[in-house]
Amino acid sequence: MSLPVGHYQYDRIDRDFLQARIAEFEGQVQRRLDGTLSEDEFKPLRLMNGLYLQLHAYMLRVAIPYGILDSRQLRRLGEIARRYDRDYGHFTTRQNIQFNWIRLEDTPAILRELAEVDMHAIQTSGNCIRNVTADEYAGAAADELVDPRVHAEILRQWSTLHPEFTFLPRKFKIAISGSPNDRVAARFHDIGILARPGEDGAPVFRIFVGGGLGRTPIIGEELFDSVREEHLLATLEAIVRVYNAHGRRDNIYKARIKILVQAIGVEAYREAVEAELAQMNLERYRLTPEAVAAIRSRFAVPLLEAPADADAVLAEQRRADPIFDRWVRSNTHVHRDPGHIIATISLKPAGGIPGDATSAQIGRLADLADAYSFGEIRITHLQNVVLGHVRKDRLRDLWLGLAEVGLAEANIGLIGDIVACPGLDYCALANARSIPIAQKLGARFADTALQAEIGALRINISGCINACGHHHAGHIGLLGVDKRGEEFFQLTVGGRAENGAAIGTILGAALPEDETVDAIARLVDCYLGRREGGETFLDTLTRLGHEPFREAAYETV
Amino acid sequence: MKRPVRLEPGQKLVLTANRLLDGRTVWWGADGTWDLHIGRASLLDAEDADAVLARVVAEAQRDGVVGVYDTAVQAAVPPEPVTVREKIRAHGPTVHPEFAVETDQ
Repeated sequence: MSLPVGHYQYDRIDRDFLQARIAEFEGQVQRRLDGTLSEDEFKPLRLMNGLYLQLHAYMLRVAIPYGILDSRQLRRLGEIARRYDRDYGHFTTRQNIQFNWIRLEDTPAILRELAEVDMHAIQTSGNCIRNVTADEYAGAAADELVDPRVHAEILRQWSTLHPEFTFLPRKFKIAISGSPNDRVAARFHDIGILARPGEDGAPVFRIFVGGGLGRTPIIGEELFDSVREEHLLATLEAIVRVYNAHGRRDNIYKARIKILVQAIGVEAYREAVEAELAQMNLERYRLTPEAVAAIRSRFAVPLLEAPADADAVLAEQRRADPIFDRWVRSNTHVHRDPGHIIATISLKPAGGIPGDATSAQIGRLADLADAYSFGEIRITHLQNVVLGHVRKDRLRDLWLGLAEVGLAEANIGLIGDIVACPGLDYCALANARSIPIAQKLGARFADTALQAEIGALRINISGCINACGHHHAGHIGLLGVDKRGEEFFQLTVGGRAENGAAIGTILGAALPEDETVDAIARLVDCYLGRREGGETFLDTLTRLGHEPFREAAYETV
Repeated sequence: MKRPVRLEPGQKLVLTANRLLDGRTVWWGADGTWDLHIGRASLLDAEDADAVLARVVAEAQRDGVVGVYDTAVQAAVPPEPVTVREKIRAHGPTVHPEFAVETDQ
């Protein structure tokens, strides 16, 4: 079998391990069903295999390492949605997919079907190192300095079943990018890694620690500026060891690494990591060029060939079709190869559910990936899908194919590109519903010309303080709260996850659900009425401060 | 220790859980069985609920349910949960009407 483009090719060891793990879990399920295991005993075991019990059913969260799939894997996810779920899947802000209507007794069979295409649900829950996320444009973007996928794969292998890090004080999330433009929210992760070429050409890594959202949003602080490739694993090992040793286990709300870093200060944390490194056997963790090359050899490189007139063909098609042109403007990114382009496919139809895709859409995306992007698909942490290597002269054909299954929405990075967690419609932790308010906002701003006029504006919605919808990082953020059994939404403005990461500022008291959409429309009107030149929403907010927006949000006339 | 339940006038308690096999939300009925429909839930007074809850929890494994607890409802026909969360558990996700759980069966 040829190597997959974009992700690591499993070998026999990987596959044998997955089969053994499934057999183990199948035995655990059987013992749960016959009563040998109590729910308290079984719960941590099912969570280690990505299986949650939510409001209406079990939910299975399937890992998509660094967000990259091949078409065979995506097609299988669609088949699982059709056969075992209710014909759809939900792509998450961790680049994973969740199935919301799973039966416990079906789970081993589902895991076997996943394993057939080298997928699993391990470490998508629990207090361990979770799925490592990466730049959705990795290996494709013109602005990229280092392709982060090889190192993301190294981190996946390092962190999978790591014996020391299976029972950390709390969950642990790592993101890696190789672009100067942060597309992974690096500073909102437990560890954020930004790779760049060193003086000798080999990559070096800038490492941030202690970022996070949730109950206590904190922007990660730089721990090291230039970790050499050979010391990457040792450094990460030391960082997590210090957290494992000193992170709080007495209070779940104080257990993340961000609390530890804030408590002792980043300088003290750095000293602790350096002390750990000083007593480690660094040779054991040395990442040699040969080891990196061995991992790299298990990724296929796409053969990027395009006709000389590919760019001209696309330009002419854009001139001839203003609707297509609008989609190209919002939904594409510059590729490193002049004959290719990166296409982002919105899973945010106006009035739809952010991140949801039907099995038919999933299957069609797999077909389109085969036809237009070397069979490779990326899932973004903003709940969209990327085809990374589309020939420019074939982009319009792709767009037409997407339109056939309702996936040609022109709203990436615009107000309709809403990020939302599943919220109280599904989630056992939520206080309020996220999806209905997202649907109302999507419908309110459905007009694509209006969205283009408004420009860059991200709305993020979380149904509880755990912040799976990353509301702190939204240009406009909504946090659902429960007030005496009624849903209210607290508004924040000014958050951003990209370069210049910032935590949104709370505008004021939470608003009733039925007043929230109007309040946001007034925020947008305030911006449109007062912006100058080519200002974005964030530009105008920065220039004017929060007060005009606060007044607009709480205007009662 | 379980927090004492304070019911408003016109409210009763019902027992709810998730089915072990498929996770579906179920409600404890007067005939001692678990049902998908809240309309068949047994209405309990606060003073009786603890004893019934303890008995039902003890039988959860045999009955194939997990996570048994009580929740307040308006004592109507069918009973209507007081909180948004329990309304959604009773009727299904609000964003997929096709997945709604009928209450009048």
